Amino acid sequence: MTRFLFPVVTGLLMLMAWWSLFELGAFPVGTVPHPWEVAIAFRDEIASGRLIADTIASLYRVAWGFIGATLFAVPLGLVVGRSSATRGALMPWINFFRSLSPIAWIPFAIIWFGIGDPPAIFIIFIATFFQITLATAAAAGSVPKIYYRVAEDMEMSSTAKLYEITLPAIMPQLVTAFRVAIGVAWMVVVAAEMIAVRSGLGFLIVDARNGLRMDLVVCGMITIGAIGIGLDLLFARLAKVPSVRWGFER
Amino acid sequence: MSVMLSLTGVGFDYPGLTVIDGLDLEVSKGELLVCVGPSGCGKSTLLALLGGHSAPTRGNVVRHGQSRTIYQDGGLFPWLTVRENIEGGLPRSTAPAQRSEKVTEWLEITRLGEFANTYPHQLSGGMRQRCELARALAAETDILLLDEPFSALDYQTRTRMRRELVATLAERPRTVVFVTHDIEEAVQLGDRIVVLGSRPASVRRVLEVPIARPRQPASPGVAEAEQVIMDELGLS
Repeated sequence: MTRFLFPVVTGLLMLMAWWSLFELGAFPVGTVPHPWEVAIAFRDEIASGRLIADTIASLYRVAWGFIGATLFAVPLGLVVGRSSATRGALMPWINFFRSLSPIAWIPFAIIWFGIGDPPAIFIIFIATFFQITLATAAAAGSVPKIYYRVAEDMEMSSTAKLYEITLPAIMPQLVTAFRVAIGVAWMVVVAAEMIAVRSGLGFLIVDARNGLRMDLVVCGMITIGAIGIGLDLLFARLAKVPSVRWGFER
Repeated sequence: MSVMLSLTGVGFDYPGLTVIDGLDLEVSKGELLVCVGPSGCGKSTLLALLGGHSAPTRGNVVRHGQSRTIYQDGGLFPWLTVRENIEGGLPRSTAPAQRSEKVTEWLEITRLGEFANTYPHQLSGGMRQRCELARALAAETDILLLDEPFSALDYQTRTRMRRELVATLAERPRTVVFVTHDIEEAVQLGDRIVVLGSRPASVRRVLEVPIARPRQPASPGVAEAEQVIMDELGLS
């Protein structure tokens, strides 16, 4: 019960503080909207269908960017984690690219992919790919050798070792990595949608800023934050799957 | 009696470190051979060589038949339930209809029936080792290699596990190599005891243990055998 009650209470307290400070004139005119204005903006945006459409557009880009990154990063991470030669050759470069802000890729995204969804998806891909690769490599490199010895006793083939030992053994760390990466992907969506698209929550915020509609900016921010919580809860549920839970209970 | 395992002039080196040197050993079919020696003398390396997990730097290792190794701890797959772990140990050729039957049989033998659907981290240390034992024995391989399997357990559980191992092997004989640093354990279990010296491991003495089972600390001959090993290891 307290799990739900406490955040609701703290949320209400923050809302009351915002409301009171606004009423007391703590914010210069036009810098922070009144909570009621934000509520009306929410109502209008939902009624017009724009908020839903923008949310779907953002989720679509995040989903493709994240899925694409996972599909390439997990196999690469497995190779890097299990092969010392590959690790030696690639790890410095994975760290190099991981340190670059996804924003730095925006010029390339526009030149390579033009306008529409692809450049935004590419930015989300870049933001998550190196993170997931690194986490997979670290997890695959730390699978206890004893599991592979048992697998050899069982005469498992290399493919069987991959599917029956390595992947289940790294799953708890992968779930944690996915949880962090989806948070980053969702965070980056605003930046990604500032380029060459005319939909999505990021675009909603940029468009609202250009029209000096701070109520809409806050409306977009609240939606992004709420969906961020939802995505985190969704990925947190993966940690409860019985064949993964062992990694969090031991 | 046929020889199942044989080591001739075996040596094993890590870079700059000789772990085993000039080791000659034979293990007969159905024998329970215990290798006892101080910690770090190369006992686990010896089992890795016998199990085919490492290749010797020098000499020859010959193994007639398949083997399974039971480790001190952590050999079970934590993402599988007890039932799934034991089933995973069955030969891949086992027919689907037989798999469930065999797993149920081993769950009963090791008294893990009510824990069939629990995960290894939810079990006590003794239960985990029983599960390891079930998985290894269910494989029906000729050779069983045990790497200090009971050393992480408390005294009572350890004593009970030794007794259960002897009883299980009496019903389902295997060729067993059991390594331990525990002299009492070596004498309670072994048909023959090989005393290994400090690193690099080499055979210091081979001791026949013609004492009837079950062996208790007060059984005739047990204390004498323990004394011989202690003398050999310089612990007297």
